[in-house]
Amino acid sequence: MSMMRSRPWVARVAGLLALAAGQAQAGTVSDMFSEVDRAMAVFDPIGTHVRAPIERAVPNLRFKGFIRQWTDILLEQQGQTGFQNQDYRFLQLQNLLELETAYHIQEGLDVNAVTHVMYDGVYDWQRSKGLYADRYFDQAELYDTSERLLREFYVSYRRPNFDLLLGKQQIAWGKMDGQFIDIINGMDRREAVQLETEDFEWRRMPQWMANATFHFGQNSLQMLYIFDFEQDRFAQPGMPWYSPALPQTRSDIILPTRRPDTDDFGDHEYGLRFDRMQGSLSYGFIYFYGFAKSPTEHVLGTAQRGGQTLLRLEGRHERLHHAGMTADYAFALNDVPLVGTLPMVVRVEGLYTNGVRFVDFREQALARLGAPTDGTTKRDTVRAAIATEFGLPGRTTAIVQASYYRTLNWTQTLGPGFGGGFGDAWTLIPVAFVSRPFAFTRDRLSMEATVFPILSGPDRGWQGVKTKLRLIYKVSQFVKGQLVYNGYDGGAPTDTYGQYNHWDNVGWELSYEF
Amino acid sequence: MNSEALTRDSAPSPARATGWRAWRLLLLALALPLATSAADDVRDQQWKTVEQMSEEDRALFDPATSTPRDADIPYIPAEPYPFQPPYTAEEMGYRSSEFVHIARWPLGIVDVFGVVTSSGYINQGVSVSYTKLSGRPGLEGYIRDVKPGEPYAHWTMFDMFPPESEGTQQLWIPYRTDKEHTTKIDYYIYSDSLRRVRRQPQPIRDQRFPDNSQTFDDVIGRDPWEMDWQLLGTDVLYETVRYPNTRATVTHNIGGQLVERQTASIKMMGDKYAHYRPDGGIDCFVLKAAVREDWLPGYREKTLVFWIDKHHFFPLRMEKYSPTGELMMVETRFAELESPARGDFGFAAHTTVYWNLEQDLISYSMHDGQAPREWTDEQKRTIFTPEFMRRRWLIDPIKSQAVVRDPEQFFLRPKLYPGKFPGERNWTVKPEIQARVDAQEAAGHLVFVTPGDGAATAQAEAAAGQ
Repeated sequence: MSMMRSRPWVARVAGLLALAAGQAQAGTVSDMFSEVDRAMAVFDPIGTHVRAPIERAVPNLRFKGFIRQWTDILLEQQGQTGFQNQDYRFLQLQNLLELETAYHIQEGLDVNAVTHVMYDGVYDWQRSKGLYADRYFDQAELYDTSERLLREFYVSYRRPNFDLLLGKQQIAWGKMDGQFIDIINGMDRREAVQLETEDFEWRRMPQWMANATFHFGQNSLQMLYIFDFEQDRFAQPGMPWYSPALPQTRSDIILPTRRPDTDDFGDHEYGLRFDRMQGSLSYGFIYFYGFAKSPTEHVLGTAQRGGQTLLRLEGRHERLHHAGMTADYAFALNDVPLVGTLPMVVRVEGLYTNGVRFVDFREQALARLGAPTDGTTKRDTVRAAIATEFGLPGRTTAIVQASYYRTLNWTQTLGPGFGGGFGDAWTLIPVAFVSRPFAFTRDRLSMEATVFPILSGPDRGWQGVKTKLRLIYKVSQFVKGQLVYNGYDGGAPTDTYGQYNHWDNVGWELSYEF
Repeated sequence: MNSEALTRDSAPSPARATGWRAWRLLLLALALPLATSAADDVRDQQWKTVEQMSEEDRALFDPATSTPRDADIPYIPAEPYPFQPPYTAEEMGYRSSEFVHIARWPLGIVDVFGVVTSSGYINQGVSVSYTKLSGRPGLEGYIRDVKPGEPYAHWTMFDMFPPESEGTQQLWIPYRTDKEHTTKIDYYIYSDSLRRVRRQPQPIRDQRFPDNSQTFDDVIGRDPWEMDWQLLGTDVLYETVRYPNTRATVTHNIGGQLVERQTASIKMMGDKYAHYRPDGGIDCFVLKAAVREDWLPGYREKTLVFWIDKHHFFPLRMEKYSPTGELMMVETRFAELESPARGDFGFAAHTTVYWNLEQDLISYSMHDGQAPREWTDEQKRTIFTPEFMRRRWLIDPIKSQAVVRDPEQFFLRPKLYPGKFPGERNWTVKPEIQARVDAQEAAGHLVFVTPGDGAATAQAEAAAGQ
């Protein structure tokens, strides 16, 4: 009875004590955070001790860079998945150091260089039989060739109406997320479906070229002459993102790929881009006479082995004509329920490609029977997107983008080819993206969510959905961290996302810029 | 015993030195407010309502609230700008709108800006900016030379700091607006990491920028016809932007030269302002502007209170209140005569401090190395276009060394001035913010640790030991 009566009193005292302790602790914790914040505010060792002295000693030199660490971990280790032995957890343990320097020679004349080195620890820091690409392909683990280390190196000469950039460089055409008219450089696609627009800067394969732009009024005309070809680099067998839908070895005879030759004038590439601004509307057109970034296998003949007829296949990068357009328009809607004024931007982009060479499995089968065919078929392709970006209250941004890919005159026997539907006549990806900072963290913490569903027809239908969630935290003005979740759901094991159903992963990225 | 040993012996031990330093700081912290509070009290009591204003001030003021309208532009006064005394409150409002955040003439600046949170997280930027105008310089050019729905200026920004955003560029094309034409800007960003120019939706006018205190309208300016103006009275300002006692000097870019200046010697409207009172104060009119619902429906920043200098109508301090009357933000400014050729209209904001009270965020924007520019036709055609940003060409770098190096050296929160114009102003703030304000005032610099016994001393000691 007395116990019963004393309970509220005890509870009250305990509550007060807990509150006092909580407040004291809250004070201590917030003071601790404050100490970290103040220490991190001035944490810039390379900027202070390397960059600043170098720039002081050589006033015409600009020097900057970053160190970045990416780690992605599979949520579950599945063992044998399709053709892939998924006996590993870490999809990447990549460490990238990049340095950018620019030397100002005289007004309008500069020399620019970007060098970087990357080490991926997935091959060394976990025990795995499924990951073995480092044994036959050094760059899977470490960039150790001059081609990879010297990323960009060009001389820029600028006059008010004219630019000329000569040397190794990368060009990003277009305004949209994803690649529609961004077709000049090859790309390192080792992360397959996890490669995103924000990574293109580090994954593009810069090329040696002459890049001239004329500016007149609200117009500009860019001309490219590219004498060095770089193809896309895909995930290879023994790499974490090698497609589980593809066998690790093949029985046919694969000959070395025939690449466009720098010494052959006929193998060079040419590009034109025209842009114009007209009030709230800006638009542009491009034409690119280049080569497909990934080779198409041609049948050169057959051979008999163990009673089997094998194809002799040679990959070739085909000549393509690309014609594209891009435009954007800004406006604001007034008196919109709940939000009041709604600022918006609409972007459109499209690319028509003529002469895309596809592997044709029917033709290959005929070749195996001795028919005189190279096992390929030519088609034209179209890819286009329309996106609407909304500026919402609460510093929230939302983007809805519909991306469409189509192979004209598609047949079921066609393999993959540039620009067309994903294993189908057409593919539609209605992407939704939302991003907002959190005011309670003084906008230091922000969240991004993106959903990429893939629909295609007439054959495959639902090819799965990718969901990406990202929490980004600004530690200081030099250091940033983020946590990322990527999930792949639905679709068949041979579909674009369906094949990666067991590749759900979480990761983090830490970067220090100086 | 050699001289070195003598020096060593006579010097206090580290422990004693720390103890003595703590005592000195504590005494200073206690004594300073006592010594200065009396002077502050007198200075803070000089405000007067309209009824209490001097005859001289009354002679400058026309209390009319309804004046003839312009024949061509029906929402502006008929009297030719810049008006003749006596001035109505509306005319004073128009005159003060001459001095928006970015001066109304073609110029080049390096904008040094940043924010600090109550925990000491600091985020800053340095951006070289060029502007060109479509019409004549000044408010008159904005009103008359450009039709509503047409761009009145082009502003470029080229980020130099922090390293993460180095090379990022922006192009703002602000529009002359009215009730029918409400688009404020075309807004483009060149992201160096994406290597793309992306058109952005225009920012929401009354929404603060991410990681900052100021809203879009704080930067771009509000049109005077969007508000109802009322004169509250007069006041004398002695302080606007306040440097902490931990930052004795600041380096300014003056005419291309980097000049180290004593922060205590920086005057509110620069050395060339001719109307300082003998005691260093500046005589101000205090204006209240109520945002008109028919012009800006649903606008969050309902009421603005301005302290404008009596001679040029330059706004030195501004307070923003929510529809429910809570104090949302205080803005204070240092000005300089940046365009002498424009005479009274040549003053421009040099340093602006914004204090957002909802999040206790303190931001600043310093227009360093500011100078009027005369662009050639070729430059006008080429520099101020979205495509120019793809060239990654900073045509004329402007240097600055004015970034805050340490959170301890950040600008102080502006004063709250409790008691001034009661009924028209609300100076109450959340208790935890008030505690930080008190700690700041006692320490003479921002205090990031939990306010309480010895907090300021502890932090000052830690700072002194660094």
